[in-house]
Amino acid sequence: MSGRGVRWLVLAAVLCAPAVLAARQGSVVSRLSARGLPAALAREVQRIAADAAGQGVPPGPLADKAIEGWAKHVPPARIVSAVRLFAGRMAEAGAAVRSAGIQNPSGGVIAAAAEAMGGGLKAEEIRMVVRAAGAAEEASPGLSVAASLAAQGIGSKQAVTIVVDAMEHRRPMSQLLDLPSVARSMHDRGMSPGEIGERLLPHHRDAGGGEHHGDKNDRPPGVPPGPGHPSGPGHP
Amino acid sequence: MTDGRAFGPGAHSYLDGKPSGELSAEERASADRLAALIRAYADGLKPVDPAMDEAVMAAVRRRGAVPAAGDGVWRWLLTSHRVPVRPVWVAALAAAAALVLWLAPRAPAGARSGAVAVAAAAGRDTVFVRFELVAPEARSVAVAGSFTGWRTDALPMVRGAAGVWSVTVALPIGEHRYEFVVDQTRWVPDPTAHAQVDDGFGGRNSVIVVGPKGLVRS
Repeated sequence: MSGRGVRWLVLAAVLCAPAVLAARQGSVVSRLSARGLPAALAREVQRIAADAAGQGVPPGPLADKAIEGWAKHVPPARIVSAVRLFAGRMAEAGAAVRSAGIQNPSGGVIAAAAEAMGGGLKAEEIRMVVRAAGAAEEASPGLSVAASLAAQGIGSKQAVTIVVDAMEHRRPMSQLLDLPSVARSMHDRGMSPGEIGERLLPHHRDAGGGEHHGDKNDRPPGVPPGPGHPSGPGHP
Repeated sequence: MTDGRAFGPGAHSYLDGKPSGELSAEERASADRLAALIRAYADGLKPVDPAMDEAVMAAVRRRGAVPAAGDGVWRWLLTSHRVPVRPVWVAALAAAAALVLWLAPRAPAGARSGAVAVAAAAGRDTVFVRFELVAPEARSVAVAGSFTGWRTDALPMVRGAAGVWSVTVALPIGEHRYEFVVDQTRWVPDPTAHAQVDDGFGGRNSVIVVGPKGLVRS
């Protein structure tokens, strides 16, 4: 290849880069437009997403938030405000996840951390869960469970302690993901959030005085199979 | 020639084998001097390696094995070329390639939501979950959430006895946010969900975390 050919190749690559960038940013607009959002609103969300991308925030969850608002007939100005707030929270969550050792977190992990922070978890608590998860792909469920427990009224510190203990003891993912259901069933039996948190705490479980994870059917005792329990082919 | 003196046509004829009697004394001297130079040059030549013929023919046979179709392209691809490239161009090319790779979409944007990522972490298992809402006065009820892309027409619920609306959905393992949509206008949280969280728009989203064993409600 001659020097002129190399120069043409470089020129083509340089010209392609903005096109790819435009296509990527355009994907937010096209997604929002496909869902019926006005062009001005879509452009504003894209602008927020482009700004947030510089802080490692993925555009997908921001577009999802805008779509959610539009589906709920929220005024555009409020949608923009909510998306901007969510972008800021995602940037903060991404920084917390990175400082816990995951250098290139996926959008899913960042979104889960952001939702958890929205549910009241502090940045340090996010870091604790991420460190306990070890693998990046296990951080998302851990964060979601901790956030769900906190949202049920269990204090965020207690919720994080429960989740971190389950992860550090390498309990099965099924047990971890079952914790919100267990907590909910305890609530429905009249327990206060404080009591539920105590019951789920490691020392209580280890002492054998409370809710264990795993009876003969691997179902926490006292949790009835309600109408939502899958009876059909659960794993298609 | 080497001594700067010219050789006449007679000298060349003499060297070609013509009788020397046709030359003058000066021409003959020139011709003899030229012949001496030629001999000295020939003596300095090394003998040709006898294996050279075979090596040359082998190379010719190898080149002959290149497919005839698209001969020009093949020949260009299989022949070494000297490419004059400035290092700055190589750096620019590498930077441009890295930029393109970095900017290229890696997955559909929707595949990055938390719930789907959790499902991926759990091996993409799905579990059937039954949603129910008691709404005797409602004309229509649907469930909409992160698993429908917040579409309100994706999962209509069916009215049963005593005004209980229900639908069973296969959901990926992980966290999901949703609400019921009553009469296509009213968004209603699920009172049996694991939690209710702020949706960022002044309302509340219901949250469920679906594990491999499904969703347990009392």
